[in-house]
Amino acid sequence: MAEKIKLYDTSKCTGCRACQLACKQWNALPAGQTYNTGTYQNPPDLQSNTWMLIRFQEMSNGNGDVKWLFRKDACMHCTDAACIKVCPSGALFRTKYGSVALDKDKCIGCKECISACPFDVPRYDPVTDKIAKCDLCFSRIDRGMEPSCVKACPTGALSFGDKDEMIARAHARVKELGGDANVYGDQFVGGTHMLYVLTEKPSVYDELPERPRVPLTVIAWKDWFKPLTLLAAGGVLAGSFIHYLTHGPKDTSGDDQAGGEGGE
Amino acid sequence: MIPKKGMIKSTDAFERLVHWWLAITCIILIITGLGMMFHSFNFLGTPLGGLKNLKLVHNFTGLLFAPALFFAILIWWREAGVFKMPEDLEWIKVAGGYLWHVDDVPETGKYNPGQKAFFLAVAIFGILMVASGLIMWFPLSLPSGLVQWMYPFHALGMLVIFPFVLVHIYLGTIGVPGSARAIFTGYVTRSWAEKQCPGWLKEMEKEGRLEIYGEEKEEAAHG
Amino acid sequence: MTNHWNDIENSDCVLAMGSNPASNHPISFKYVTKAMEKGAPLISVDPRFTQTSARADIYAPLRSGTDIAFLGGMIKYILDNNLIHEKYVKAYTNASFLVNPDFKMPGENNGVFSGLVENKYDKSTWSYQTDADGVILKDPTLSDPNCVYRLLKKHYERYTPGVVSNITGTPKDKLIVVYEAYTKTGKPGKAGTIMYAMGWTQHTVGVQNIRTMSIIQLLLGNMGVAGGGVNALRGESNVQGSTDMALLFHILPGYLKTPVASWQTLEEYNRKNTPATNEPKSLNWWKNYSKYMASLLRAHYGKNVTLEEAYRYLPKREDGQDCSWLTLFDNMYKGKFSGLFAWGMNPACSGASSHKVRQALAQLDWMVNVNVYDNETGSFWREPGLDPSKIKTEVFMLPCSAFMEKEGSITNSGRWMQWRYKAVDSPGVAMPDGDIMTELFCRLKERYEKNGGPLADAITRLTWDYGVKDGAGRVRHFDPDYVAREVNGYFLEDKVIGGVLYKKGTLVPSFGLLQDDGSTSSGNWLYCNSYTEKGNMAKRRGNEDRSFIGLYSDWAWCWPLNRRIIYNGASVDPDTGMPWDKKNPVIRWDGAEWKGDVPDGVAAPGAGRPPFIMKPDGVANIFGPGLADGPFPEHYEPLECPIEENLLSPQFINPTIVRWDEVGTGTSVDARATCDPRFPFVCSTYRVSEHWQTGVLTRWAPWLAEMQPELFVEIGSELARLKGFKNGEHVMVKSVRGEVEAVAIVTDRYKPMKVAGMTVHQVGIPWHYGWVTTNMRKYVHGDKVPEVFTGGDSANLLTPFIGDPNTGIPESKAFMVNVERKGV
Repeated sequence: MAEKIKLYDTSKCTGCRACQLACKQWNALPAGQTYNTGTYQNPPDLQSNTWMLIRFQEMSNGNGDVKWLFRKDACMHCTDAACIKVCPSGALFRTKYGSVALDKDKCIGCKECISACPFDVPRYDPVTDKIAKCDLCFSRIDRGMEPSCVKACPTGALSFGDKDEMIARAHARVKELGGDANVYGDQFVGGTHMLYVLTEKPSVYDELPERPRVPLTVIAWKDWFKPLTLLAAGGVLAGSFIHYLTHGPKDTSGDDQAGGEGGE
Repeated sequence: MIPKKGMIKSTDAFERLVHWWLAITCIILIITGLGMMFHSFNFLGTPLGGLKNLKLVHNFTGLLFAPALFFAILIWWREAGVFKMPEDLEWIKVAGGYLWHVDDVPETGKYNPGQKAFFLAVAIFGILMVASGLIMWFPLSLPSGLVQWMYPFHALGMLVIFPFVLVHIYLGTIGVPGSARAIFTGYVTRSWAEKQCPGWLKEMEKEGRLEIYGEEKEEAAHG
Repeated sequence: MTNHWNDIENSDCVLAMGSNPASNHPISFKYVTKAMEKGAPLISVDPRFTQTSARADIYAPLRSGTDIAFLGGMIKYILDNNLIHEKYVKAYTNASFLVNPDFKMPGENNGVFSGLVENKYDKSTWSYQTDADGVILKDPTLSDPNCVYRLLKKHYERYTPGVVSNITGTPKDKLIVVYEAYTKTGKPGKAGTIMYAMGWTQHTVGVQNIRTMSIIQLLLGNMGVAGGGVNALRGESNVQGSTDMALLFHILPGYLKTPVASWQTLEEYNRKNTPATNEPKSLNWWKNYSKYMASLLRAHYGKNVTLEEAYRYLPKREDGQDCSWLTLFDNMYKGKFSGLFAWGMNPACSGASSHKVRQALAQLDWMVNVNVYDNETGSFWREPGLDPSKIKTEVFMLPCSAFMEKEGSITNSGRWMQWRYKAVDSPGVAMPDGDIMTELFCRLKERYEKNGGPLADAITRLTWDYGVKDGAGRVRHFDPDYVAREVNGYFLEDKVIGGVLYKKGTLVPSFGLLQDDGSTSSGNWLYCNSYTEKGNMAKRRGNEDRSFIGLYSDWAWCWPLNRRIIYNGASVDPDTGMPWDKKNPVIRWDGAEWKGDVPDGVAAPGAGRPPFIMKPDGVANIFGPGLADGPFPEHYEPLECPIEENLLSPQFINPTIVRWDEVGTGTSVDARATCDPRFPFVCSTYRVSEHWQTGVLTRWAPWLAEMQPELFVEIGSELARLKGFKNGEHVMVKSVRGEVEAVAIVTDRYKPMKVAGMTVHQVGIPWHYGWVTTNMRKYVHGDKVPEVFTGGDSANLLTPFIGDPNTGIPESKAFMVNVERKGV
């Protein structure tokens, strides 16, 4: 099965939030009481019941011009997904489309993925004691449909298709846009399955890591300590066995009256 | 394993209680930890009704492990927490005679440097495990930059403690016959003590503090 | 829209002014984006940097209410640089017409046109010079000083970039950038489109705002072509449809005029409303007026009564009587109404100067609130601070079905009549509006039959064949299909027209066949052809596009006659019939007939018939004498504005507006405060993507409420700094008429502007909120309690009670406020 990519072109996004709504609708996510805090962005951040949201950001340059940036924030579906790496139960898994999906039944609410994610995406729901995040509408794409956010997008800022085609399209678009435009997502964490075409440099955007990667802590833990533990424990077991065979038990018996071997 | 007359008391009841308290919680933690560390051990959760319960068992066992560790450190840090130079160094040089034939193993006190190392490993990494484990239990209340580091620390603890525990079990049972008796009954044979901790034996005898099964306790016995 | 949504894609330049389509018409942006992909620049002109501005290639700020100055400057730019589409202008507009030499323009007449008496124009000088046969004199060379073209040039000579910039606050260089980009579409084969909405209409010069743009579109040859036109983005999904069906007081279905008292007979009514022309080649389509009126009367009364009787039954206004929104509520406020049906309306929030509306409701004896949810109108009597025991109005709530709970048609901004099907049953006792009306009608009729009354026949003889009837002849369930057929119209008798026999009882295939002898019926002549013997055309879902310009002519149905782009007769060269734009042809003469869209108004090429056939003279009006406030648009300041003079003339505000603040009741609800230091900031109301109208449907939808939970006011960073506001803090927005609490959004998207040497700050506030929330409802076991409650009241508590002289639409896009920290 070919890997799929959701392409998000910020140069065509109008911040209408049809995607944000469609996500809630398809995934039957309830709304929560919010308040206006001086921005259009609401809910203020990703939540266990808000798997994606549009971030609104104003940017003023020196000469008085203003830009209004919109960014759809949701799971990036990394190829080297730190969350999958750390998930103890296998609840987070890679689908045949390359996306990162969640088997809710398996989730044990350990929250390890939350601190592992370089994009700060997974959210914990204390009511169900499980985490929640975008699964690229696995239930839809597995039936040949596009994700609900893509379906709802009126301007074509969102599109969905085969990996190579989407990457090519993203680069073509960036070429067309020129300036600071760039493709974000194909050069790190093994390539993401949500790809951005950004009109500004990544560093400009709020809450967007400039060079995301699987955290060193996860690598140390999963790539070093985990196999080492196995190696060490196995080595010790094997060593003890060989020791017992070659050296035999230490002779602690003596000739005193209270003698007698251990292990009665 | 009832002690026989003439055996030497090496551990008191509280020490043994703490040891087993620590040992049992530690083993449960290791087993449940393994269940979460490796997907291939996920099945360990099955008898508990799922991995989620396994996690709960792990977390709450950790809470029981912590006081045991506290008492263990309290009890043993003097005897097993400090290396005595140069004799411990000498012992280390010949690896206590465990790995190759050594004619004359340097004498050690109650605990040899190997045992000390194990104690220190359990003490230091045990604290690390408790601390990191607690933070991992409630990761959302702390900055994620801090929380992130708890996972490799916890894994590092496992990397250190788990093999040590295996060594400890081996040497405490079939590796050094007669050892297990000490932690079950509190008594060891004189010959075991002569082999395992001659320095201690000599010191105790010199100070007259040795308790021998079946004999009257001497005046100077420590409480 | 003269064109339609898909057609925006064909544009070579998109101007979004007086609108924020990215936010408020999100789907339209699909086609804007497509046009942009093909290289069309998007221009956003707005006081506030909006989501549309964020996507635009060019953004230019302007002060609210100065659009005519801005666009007048563009007209001057076009004429100075000779950027007009010359052949188009000469053939298809009245540019060459010679105007009465006595006609005077504001530049030479103290800021007003000739003929102003008190606050009304005597239009006798707004006329053309004619020859002995009454044919209008023309100068095809456009050089006669009295020709429309020369007058236009003279009129806008005063709109220099310097003056315009001083009025609008738009930096001069931005003006030029916009003018330059847009006027490139004057080249034959290029098309520019305008997307406007309430940002243009809700002004005391609302109609003239649109007129200014219409003139630009004509000068550039952008009317009738693909990717061109003048496109009103409607504020509601079916505003176009309801307007077609006589939403407004002065029109009957199909834009026929409502009768007034002095038009005693049908013959007189027709005579007064059928335009005449002496232009030999003009088709003057409205000459068929009497046919449409006769067919409408037949749709109302069938053949039960004569046409004359039917006309007599129609209610008539007093001559000159204004029944527009503001007048209506002013009269209600003065106690002249006893009852009100607030049907799918929430005037307590949507009406300008809502305090006045809310107080007016208390003057009623009874009110029926027909709505999906309770709202501020139905619950006005329990508004916090009011004592319900002191309010006499008896309020009835009739719960009605929401759109997905009933069947029917919607006519979108692009004039597409699209059939919708019922998806779910209505909850509880809610009924579709049609059923409620049927029930009302039947009971009224029974009562009139039993008790009689003045003009009882007007009710008792109405036809009401909107469903299967029971034994008593009463419609059991309203069926919109019957209505759709009646709207289209029937032959009421066998009729031979042009040698073809049309059988009695069959549907009339086209409005060209409607008759004035009573042999046909049609509920709305514009919709004749929407339901033919082939079936309900609005149900069509053919998605093939044979036109290559996205007409999708087999999708649903479009008035008139499924013509997707009206005035398309002007999209071709008058001599050859070849389209101006070869790549995007709307129609094309193939030597024998027209191909493409349903042709509009054109005869064979070279025949010389002017294609704007709805105009008596057949050409589009650059000089437009039909309006109340002038044949050319002239800049006047909004009723409330920050500067003390009109920089263009001594006439400060539109001289023809109807005023309440001077002659009215003298209460605060009608007050105004112009150049008043207490209210120093210009304010506009607007909408957000997430809410609809007064929010009665959307504030109850948790997902939407979650995204925009509270009333906010957008304040520029510099103003916030001056006032010491922090982002997100609660502030009070006050006008002389009222105040609302709102959350301050401090933003760089509003910048202070230089107007007449002064620094002017502008703020903006959405109007979707109201004090009624489901929070205060009682819930019984099993009820789903909404997850989100919204906060805030209507921004219309601030807006002035003043309107455009042509339409009466209130000026809620430009008024003066103050913003203060809460509790000050």
